[in-house]
Amino acid sequence: MTTSVVEHLIAMFGKISTAIDDAVDELSELDGAIGDADHGITMVLGFHAVTAALQSARSDLSSASAVMNAAATAFLNAVGASTGPLYATGLRRAAQSLDGVEKLDQSAATAMLTAIPAGIRERGKAQRGDKTMLDAWLPASEAAALALANGADRKTFWKQVVAAAEHGAEATRSMVAAKGRAARVGGRSLGHMDPGAASTVIIIKAMAEALSGDDA
Amino acid sequence: MGDTPQSPPLRFGDDPYVWACWLYYQDRLTQSQIAEAMGVSRATVNAYLSEARDRGIVNISLEPARLASLTVADEIRRHFGLESCLVVPSEETHPLIDRLGRAGALALQSLLKSGDTLGVVWGRTIMAVAEHLKSPPLQDMTVVQATGSTQATFAYTPDLCTTAFAEALSAKSIKISAPAIVGSPELARAMMGEPLIADELAALAKVNRIIFGISSLRPNSTIHASGFFEQVSLQHYLARGAAGVLAGRFIDQNGAPVDGPLHARTIGIPLDVLTGIKTRIAVAGGFDKVPALLAMLRGGYANILITDAATGRGILNAEGVAPARPQAKTPARTPVIVRTQIKKFLNRPDDAVDEMLEGAINANRRYLKPVAGSNRALVARHGPRPGKVGLVIGGGSGHEPCFLGYVGRGLADAVAIGNIFSSPPPDPIAACAQAASGDAGVLFAYGNYSGDVMNFEMAAEQVEERGIKVRTVLTTDDIASSPIEDRDGRRGVAGNVLIFKVAGAACDLGLPLEACEAVTRKANARTYTIGVGLEPCSLPQIRRPTFELGPDDMEVGIGIHGEPGVARESLKAADAIVDTAIDAIFKEMDARPNERVAVLVNSFGATPMMELYILYRRVEQRLSARGIVVEANWIGPYCTSLDMVGASITIMHLDNELSRLLSRPCDTAAFKVL
Repeated sequence: MTTSVVEHLIAMFGKISTAIDDAVDELSELDGAIGDADHGITMVLGFHAVTAALQSARSDLSSASAVMNAAATAFLNAVGASTGPLYATGLRRAAQSLDGVEKLDQSAATAMLTAIPAGIRERGKAQRGDKTMLDAWLPASEAAALALANGADRKTFWKQVVAAAEHGAEATRSMVAAKGRAARVGGRSLGHMDPGAASTVIIIKAMAEALSGDDA
Repeated sequence: MGDTPQSPPLRFGDDPYVWACWLYYQDRLTQSQIAEAMGVSRATVNAYLSEARDRGIVNISLEPARLASLTVADEIRRHFGLESCLVVPSEETHPLIDRLGRAGALALQSLLKSGDTLGVVWGRTIMAVAEHLKSPPLQDMTVVQATGSTQATFAYTPDLCTTAFAEALSAKSIKISAPAIVGSPELARAMMGEPLIADELAALAKVNRIIFGISSLRPNSTIHASGFFEQVSLQHYLARGAAGVLAGRFIDQNGAPVDGPLHARTIGIPLDVLTGIKTRIAVAGGFDKVPALLAMLRGGYANILITDAATGRGILNAEGVAPARPQAKTPARTPVIVRTQIKKFLNRPDDAVDEMLEGAINANRRYLKPVAGSNRALVARHGPRPGKVGLVIGGGSGHEPCFLGYVGRGLADAVAIGNIFSSPPPDPIAACAQAASGDAGVLFAYGNYSGDVMNFEMAAEQVEERGIKVRTVLTTDDIASSPIEDRDGRRGVAGNVLIFKVAGAACDLGLPLEACEAVTRKANARTYTIGVGLEPCSLPQIRRPTFELGPDDMEVGIGIHGEPGVARESLKAADAIVDTAIDAIFKEMDARPNERVAVLVNSFGATPMMELYILYRRVEQRLSARGIVVEANWIGPYCTSLDMVGASITIMHLDNELSRLLSRPCDTAAFKVL
């Protein structure tokens, strides 16, 4: 049933929004160390706008792609900044990758987890190792592809995806920022986890929570 | 008691501590001589001196740069269990490679003994070591090339490195007559079985000391230019968590070897042979190499490390070990009252931007009005007109009066406003372009930040689809944010205001789009800003300082988004701060006597006019000492960072055209030229 995919994705964005709410202070603190301390606020703002837009447009959303596109537009218009275009492009790519998808199984999830960082990379032109959100997204998408190829069950699949994202975010501590405002502080970004990578882990964990149930 | 002190000479007042210190440190008397001079016991003198240190009357200080490198070296040595660590002070005067080469050479000279066999792993830094190596009086030395060779022609190939060491040490040299990487594992096995090559490789077993660098996998690493690794294989290793390359072998962040397609095709010293060598000297520096250095240290590949202080501190930070702060013991300080929340005039913090805009739009309704009902896109009432290029500016809020204060006749035609310190999304920018368009094209001018660039670019695409021609100038006036070689990578700060003014005047004159763009680029190229922060700002939603700044610290090269600056330094007197800024600007600005400049001394929000005038006074002194004429000046809060304490100094180097455009009348809320 198509409605079920729509409902699951709306529920997924709801979980992401709540998880980001809970982490706002932590994210802002991470950002304060190397940026302007507003990452938590920006993410909260963006995902609140997403959930609000999805609720109000619920009756018009007939496919997974429609949900992702609506989320992209809402996020972009609420946020601007650099996070806005990056996530909006990632979510629009995800919308394309979920075209015609009726079930959020491991294969659909892998498509989504691959499309999001592809869009982010295309827009922001960052590389792995630049100390950005990609350093968590890319390992997660690779872990997804590997788990899918190994025929992992839903729970194992998401467990491996989350672990890869966490490991990737942790590794940003020893990286020097090469993109965005943090790039200006040079070596002073060492030792700090990239806030964008930290919020990626929160998003992916919430995705896992929403999509690892058997009915997704 | 005979210990009643004689009364001290007048110049010491009634302070025997200062008197004792003076005699000891300044007049260099012994403690007994002092006891006699002061009429007290030697024990009392000793107590005076020790107490004087505790109370901070006397500060014993090593030159801070040297002290810092000593503490960093000691901490790295301890943390990673090294035999020795040498850290060269971080200074800008010599290139890093050169300084590392010098230090590496010194270390090697003291470590080498007659009869040693030294393994050499090729690299740019290692070549620099060889270049500084002075021949020690040693005999029977052998130098062995530790990896295979290459046909590539760069200045530090395995072959050239080995030769350089052999010559510097008057040593016998053994080269490997095989490529570092061959076409297939079979070929590698076959070549290593060739008697000649097998003999050469066997020499590696006699190596008792080895010197090597470490390659990062970052885009600027020399391994990309070396021709050893194809891009395809590198991606393979990156995906498997490779953090660095040591002697042609990939290692992960913990130093474990990373398996991959090149492993069996590589001819050279295997990592397990390397770790069996007694003295393993690594020489490397630079922030880019920190992940690779960490991997190397965690893997125990080196037991002697030579690096520089900034990199060393980076290693410790990344490892989560704080190096002891390089400071002499200072007297106890009255604790600073820690404020948990900064006071602000707010209703609901989340409404701050919208309420500010409501107020600002009403207060300035004679200059501007919303476009299509959105307060995030504002257009000048007397700006856009047919045939005139429209100037669209924009950026985050929190910089007031930037940017909306610069919308009006003769300056910007429209402004797009984002959340605090965040670029506006594409929609309001596109709405501004539409409103500002007089069918002669639209010029976008905004600060060079990745967020703004992405959103303005997306907006430009939208607008151009509707047939409006868009040109963009990114402002990059902050000279502290990147070195001169990376001028295009610098960010735009307060100098924005003067650059916008020039652009607005060019548009107002009716110049065509290309001319408006060209003169705005020129204005940007001739504008130089440096900011200094004394206290961080705080966001309405958080109301805590955005970063911590010690009581005696200042941030140099600070931006306008509450982010930390480029360097933290000890607070200095106002004139000294201005001198630092002006010295840096003079390095880049080629202004001759009698040439003219415009000066902007800008408050970041909380620094009062009094202090801005103190700064301006010194700015003018420095300019006039060089015979440079200040044609125009602006002093005040022009581009702020919420409630940050701090100021920036901007100098625009004028020519006739810029001078004419800057002095052309304009009328906006925050910038008027009559």
